[in-house]
Amino acid sequence: MAVQKLEISPVGRVEGDLDVRVDIEDGQVVNAWTKAELFRGFEVILKGKDPQAGLIVTPRICGICGASHLTSASWALDTAWGTEVPRNAILARNLGQLVETIQSHPRHFYALYAIDLTNKKYKNSPFYEEACKRFSAFTGTSYELAITTSAKPVELYALFGGQWPHSSYMVPGGVMCAPTLTDITRGWGIMEYFRTNWLEPVWLGCSLERYEEIQTYEDFLEWLDESPNHANSDLGFYWRMGLDIGLDKYGGGPGRYLTWGYLPHEDKYQHPTIEGRNAAVIMKGGVYDSFTDMHHMVDHTFARENTSHAWYEEGTADVHPFDRTTQPKHINTNDYEGKYSWSTAVSHKDLGRMEVGSLARQLVAGGKHGESWQHYDGLILDMFKKMGGPSIHLREFARMHESVKLYREVERCLREFKLNDPWYIKPTEKDGRGWGGTEASRGALCHWVEVEKGKIKNYQVIAPTTWNVGPRDGNHTRGPIEEALVGIPIEDTSNPVEVGHVARSFDSCLVCTVHAHDAKTGKELARFRTN
Amino acid sequence: MANVLWLQGGACSGNTISFLNAEEPTVVDLITDFGINVLWHPSLGLQLGDEVQQLLHDCVNGKVPVDILVYEGSVVNAPNGTGEWNRFAGRPMKDWLTELSKIAGFVVAVGDCATYGGIPAMEPNPSESLGVQFLKRNKGGFLGADYVSQAGLPVINIPGCPSHPDWISQILVAVATGRVGDLTLDEFHRPQTFFRSFTQTGCTRNMHFSYKATTQDFGQRTGCLFYDMGCRGPMTHSSCNRILWNRVSSKTRAGMPCLGCTEPEFPFHDLKPGTVFKTQTVMGVPKELPAGINKKDYALMTVVSKDASPSWAGEDFFTV
Ligand code: SF4
Ligand code: SF4
Repeated sequence: MAVQKLEISPVGRVEGDLDVRVDIEDGQVVNAWTKAELFRGFEVILKGKDPQAGLIVTPRICGICGASHLTSASWALDTAWGTEVPRNAILARNLGQLVETIQSHPRHFYALYAIDLTNKKYKNSPFYEEACKRFSAFTGTSYELAITTSAKPVELYALFGGQWPHSSYMVPGGVMCAPTLTDITRGWGIMEYFRTNWLEPVWLGCSLERYEEIQTYEDFLEWLDESPNHANSDLGFYWRMGLDIGLDKYGGGPGRYLTWGYLPHEDKYQHPTIEGRNAAVIMKGGVYDSFTDMHHMVDHTFARENTSHAWYEEGTADVHPFDRTTQPKHINTNDYEGKYSWSTAVSHKDLGRMEVGSLARQLVAGGKHGESWQHYDGLILDMFKKMGGPSIHLREFARMHESVKLYREVERCLREFKLNDPWYIKPTEKDGRGWGGTEASRGALCHWVEVEKGKIKNYQVIAPTTWNVGPRDGNHTRGPIEEALVGIPIEDTSNPVEVGHVARSFDSCLVCTVHAHDAKTGKELARFRTN
Repeated sequence: MANVLWLQGGACSGNTISFLNAEEPTVVDLITDFGINVLWHPSLGLQLGDEVQQLLHDCVNGKVPVDILVYEGSVVNAPNGTGEWNRFAGRPMKDWLTELSKIAGFVVAVGDCATYGGIPAMEPNPSESLGVQFLKRNKGGFLGADYVSQAGLPVINIPGCPSHPDWISQILVAVATGRVGDLTLDEFHRPQTFFRSFTQTGCTRNMHFSYKATTQDFGQRTGCLFYDMGCRGPMTHSSCNRILWNRVSSKTRAGMPCLGCTEPEFPFHDLKPGTVFKTQTVMGVPKELPAGINKKDYALMTVVSKDASPSWAGEDFFTV
C-alpha cells in the first residue's frame, strides 16, 4: 500500500507553533518529523547586556514556565558569582517553582489534553457522554472548575513575587521579597482552598493521606475499586476511559529518560557551586535507561546539541552549550532530508536522545541512586514495568501524580520559613561561567551563562521542549516525539487526533524551544535589524 | 454574540496564560455569560491542521465573521521582511495578519510584543519584530499609522509584559457588550481606564516615597524602590496597584521594582550593563524623575521631605 503523507500545521494546544509531518501506511504512522516554526532570538538579544538581564529576559522566553526560567537564571548567576543564598531565599525560590508547576498540571490536563477525549472518534466508548459532560472546552463541569481553581496556587506566587507570570523576584544572592506572617498564613489558606476545592474532591476523590498510601500498581488498582468516589473522581474516570480507548497502547518514545534534579535543599546549597548541586537537590537527578533497567547519575557536562537537521549553520558535530556558536540559517525552507526545524537535537553524551518531563522525573524518582535524604517514589517505575513500558496514558498519569507530592513540599516550605532571618545577601559581581538548572513542569531546563568584562558574553538555554521536540540528530536518530509518533494508529486522516494526543502528552512548549542561539558575532545579525 | 479569533506571533504565551487567571470576569464567564465565541485559540482551540487552515480561509473570505481579532506576540518579519521565521498554518504569520486585519471588526493587541514589539524587538532585533501598530514609541508598526479596523478604530493596545488578565477580559466584555463607545484611548492606543494612573498609585511603599526613605537592598519590607533600586512606578502608566495581580499583590508591594512594562521603552536602557535594578543617577539625583515634576522642584521637595521625615519612615512597620 502506498505511503500517505500527512502535514499537520498547526498541531495546536502545544504552546507555540508545532507542525508535524507523518507518513502513514495501512493506517499506521511509519515515519514522523516534528518542526518548530518560530525564531525570536533571545540569546542573540542577551549578548552584551547586563549580567542580570537574563532575570528579566528569560522568563519571557516562555510565559508558562517563567518561574522555571527565572530559577535557572538565578542559580546560573549564583554559581558564576559565587554567592551565598540564605535558606529563606532557597525556600522562597522553590515555592515559586512548586506553585507554578502545581498550577500547570490541571491546566495542562483539562485545557490542553482532556478536551480531546470529547473527539468524535470516541463516540462509541461507554465513557464518551460523561467525558463530554466533564471535559468539553469551556462548558465542561470539570473544565470550568479546573481553569478557575488552577489560578489559585499562583496567588501564592504573587505574594512572594508580586505577580505571576513574569515576576523577576529571584536574584543572585536571594530573593527581593521579605514576606510577613500574613503573607505566609494567607498563602497557606490559598493552598488549602486549592486542596479542598479541587485536588481532593474533584481530582482524587479521596484525602491526600489515602492517596499517598499507593505505592505499587496493585495498590493503585485496589484504590480504584475501593470506592465509587475513587472510580468516579476525574483521575479514576480518566484512568478507566483511557484504558477503554487504548491510550495505554501507543506513544512510547525513546525509552531513555532524564532529569537534572531540582529543588535545592535550604541547608545544603547556601554556597551554590555547579559541582555541589547534584547532592544538594531534594528531587534527585538522573537518567533512567529502560533498555538496561539502570539508573545513571548526571551532570551538565553530558549535554550536547546537534544542528545537522536544524536551521543553523554550525556543522554537524555535537557540541556542549558553552561551545555553541549558533548561526541561524537565513533561508529556512523545509527539507525533511536536511534541515526542517528551529529546534536543535539535544542528547546525553553517552546515552543519546532522552525524553524529559514528568514521566522522566518519576522514573528517576524510582531509582535507588542518590543521597539517602533525597526524594524516592517507586510507583510510576512499577507501573511502567507492569504495563509494558511507556504510553500516552502513563505519561499523563505521571504528570498528575506529582501534584500531591509538590503540594506537600509547599506545606514544608511554608513551615520552614524563619521570618526574621535574611532573604537576600548582597553578592559581589564578577566574571565567570555559571550553570543553573531546574525542572519546569514540562521537563529539564538549564541555563548556561558566561560573564566577561561585566557583561554577558554568551547565554544558552536548553528548554524541556528542545529535548522532546528536537529533530533528527547527526546520526539521523529521530527526536523523542518523532519516535513516539512512529507506530501510532491514524484512524481517520481528516481527524488525526492521535497525533494531537502524543504531542500533548509531552506537553510541549514550542515557545521555549525557539530560543535563538548565540551568533558568532553579534554584528552578523545586525543586518537583519529593522529600521 | 461576538466571534473572537486569537493568534500568536512572536509570543511567549504569557498573555494567554495570564488571561487564564482572570477573575472578573473569568475566561469561562466570557464564553458562557457574555456570549463570546472563541473561533480558535492556539492553546484552547479544538481543531488542528487543515481544519484550522480552512477556518482561517473562511474568515478571510468573509464566510465566518471575525468580530474581534486578538493578536499576541510581535509580528515577525525576518528574514528580510519575508516573515518566514514565523510560519503558521503553512505560511508566514504576518500574511495571515495582513488579511485578517482587513476583515476584523476590532483588532486588539495584547501584551508588549503585540503593542510595541516588546522583548523580541529589543536591540539587535534578530527576528525583525514589530508591534501591530507601533514599534516602540513610533506609530506605524506592522499595519501602518492609518490602519483602522472595520469598526473604524485603530488597534486597541493592551500593553504589559504580560497584560493583566482583567485588563484583557474587561476590554473584551466592553467590546462584546457594546460599550466600546466609552473607551478612550491615549496616544499609544491604550485604554485610559487602565493606563491613565501610575503604577505608583496605590503602592504600599508610597509613604516611604513621600519621605524619601529608600529601600537599601532587596529582601526588605520597607522603603521606596525609586531612589536606589530603579523602580519606574512614578513614571509608568498602569493600574498594577489598583487592580492587583492575581488578586493579591503587585511587584512593588512584594519588593520588586516596577520595570515600566506598560511603556514603549520597556525594557528600559536595553538592559545595558549597570542599568538593571539600579536607579540611574547624575550626582545623586535620579536621571528620570516622576512624571510632571522638574529638577528644581524635585530638589526642593527632597530637602523638605527629608526634614519632615518621621521616625517610622526608616523602620520596618510591616512587621513579621
Ligand atoms: S516602590 Fe515604586 S511604585 Fe512604590 S512608591 Fe516607590 S517608586 Fe512608587
Ligand atoms: S508593576 Fe510595572 S513592571 Fe510590573 S506589571 Fe506593573 S507596569 Fe509592568
